[in-house]
Amino acid sequence: MPTNPSMAAAIVGAAESNKIGYIEEGATNMTLFIEAIKNVCDQVGIKPSDIEGIAAPGYANALAEYLHIRPKWIDTTSVGGCSFQMQVHHAMAAINAGILDIAVVAHGESGYSARKNNGKGRGPRPAADPWAPAAMFEGPYGLSGPPSNYSHAFTRHMHRYGSSQEDFAQIAVTTRDWATLNPRAVMHSKETHPAGGPITVEDVMNSRIISWPLKLLDCCLVTDHGGAVIVASAERARSFKTKPVWIAGAAEAISHTSMIEMDDYTRTSAWQSAETAYTMAGMGPGEMELAMIYDSFTLTAGITAEMLRLTPLGEGPSLWADGKAGPGGSGIPVNTNGGGLSFSHSGMYGMMLLIEAYRQLSGTAEDGVHGLPGKQTSAKTAIVNGTGGVLSVTGTLVLVADD
Amino acid sequence: MADYNKPIPDPDPYTTGPFWEGAKAGKLVLPRCTDCNRTHFYPRNICPFCYSMNIEWYEASGEGWIQTFAVQHRAMGGWADETPFVTAFIDLKEGDRMFTVLRGVDGNKPEDIKCGTPVKVEFEKVNDDVSIPFWRVV
Ligand SMILES: [Zn+2]
Repeated sequence: MPTNPSMAAAIVGAAESNKIGYIEEGATNMTLFIEAIKNVCDQVGIKPSDIEGIAAPGYANALAEYLHIRPKWIDTTSVGGCSFQMQVHHAMAAINAGILDIAVVAHGESGYSARKNNGKGRGPRPAADPWAPAAMFEGPYGLSGPPSNYSHAFTRHMHRYGSSQEDFAQIAVTTRDWATLNPRAVMHSKETHPAGGPITVEDVMNSRIISWPLKLLDCCLVTDHGGAVIVASAERARSFKTKPVWIAGAAEAISHTSMIEMDDYTRTSAWQSAETAYTMAGMGPGEMELAMIYDSFTLTAGITAEMLRLTPLGEGPSLWADGKAGPGGSGIPVNTNGGGLSFSHSGMYGMMLLIEAYRQLSGTAEDGVHGLPGKQTSAKTAIVNGTGGVLSVTGTLVLVADD
Repeated sequence: MADYNKPIPDPDPYTTGPFWEGAKAGKLVLPRCTDCNRTHFYPRNICPFCYSMNIEWYEASGEGWIQTFAVQHRAMGGWADETPFVTAFIDLKEGDRMFTVLRGVDGNKPEDIKCGTPVKVEFEKVNDDVSIPFWRVV
């Protein structure tokens, strides 16, 4: 008989690669993956050979071979930045079904180094299929990557709701404020990056147009990053060196692959995945004390806030208005690591959301990583939402502290 | 035509052939389900609304409206020479949606472009085998 998998599993550790951001000496996907897996195993007190299940977008099989491990659960789901939220969902379900007790969900992506190395070290990339619908019916028209797609949703939101570019710019400003409290953030300060440190709405508005209405400071970074979390069964969750953070709700949903098939440019499938995750958790948006929201662009974060029911429809950016979501703000804290906008974003940012949520809810944000602390909040609950593709796929988790 | 320097589609003849044959003749030819009568785009071998596999092709009006748009200030290949250009999703009069580079608008004045504006299709012959549809504000 099926049982509700809520609280059947916990995240019991979360770690990053030794270096993140713009790694000048270079990195490959594999080196980042391995550093993160090694670090998370050390953190929780297990060996890679103790891992019974492995999940990594497009890499689960390669990692199992590289590490000489023989997992009994393999998930190589690769649908963009929310793959990790989905893999935690899958791991929880498999654990609830009694298939395994310990899984690793891992990320390694040399978004920055691969540019320097002509794409080498970034893993197998399937050749573009000229007969794919998007190749035939979007390909001729000059799109160049995610910003050139997402900008269309921004325009529609402004048209439909009367929102403004300034409203969304506030998201970048508040997110940067969090980055100034995270010494590992790429945009922490002038010491970490020439353009680092606090920014204003005017700075965002005056930054170079990439794909109108998206300006440079509406867009995430492109960095190197590795990360990994361990998901364990309720029975094992308290047997490690670290504290569990419980998976109260989890869900995933898809609305399209290419934007020609997006029915409503102001809504994503996070509407659906959030509803399912809240229902599983038996909790609602009013009970969330931290929100980790995918911010590939200010637009992504803004409309996702609406989908997660953290604001009324059309008012997503109001979550950040006047710094409410920022340090010391009057609202719930959002993207306390500095976000994909100002912390680090390798291409698939979902793992960084998970790691920060784990640190916040396990009370370890200020313990730091490699000697560099983050900013601890008092949150005991979190909603963590990833978006993949071009607003295509979403994964949502509701996480709860152990206390 | 000989110097068309932007991406040229290499169409799948099995599920999209009549669309491209129509384009060569300057016609917007769309697939429609003979069971529920709804038009879908991109072309498929199944109706995504009622899952019938009875699909016919017909000549559409070539009229539509701007659903939403963006202005591309960064592009690759031949498109790089045309920045800033306007891309748009077009709601077809007969239903469903296409993507395009919008003509008859100024990428330097996005505030003058409005969602909902009527547009008409036109075709550009890029080689002997392929003509590409573009939409123009009328
Ligand atoms: Zn039908």
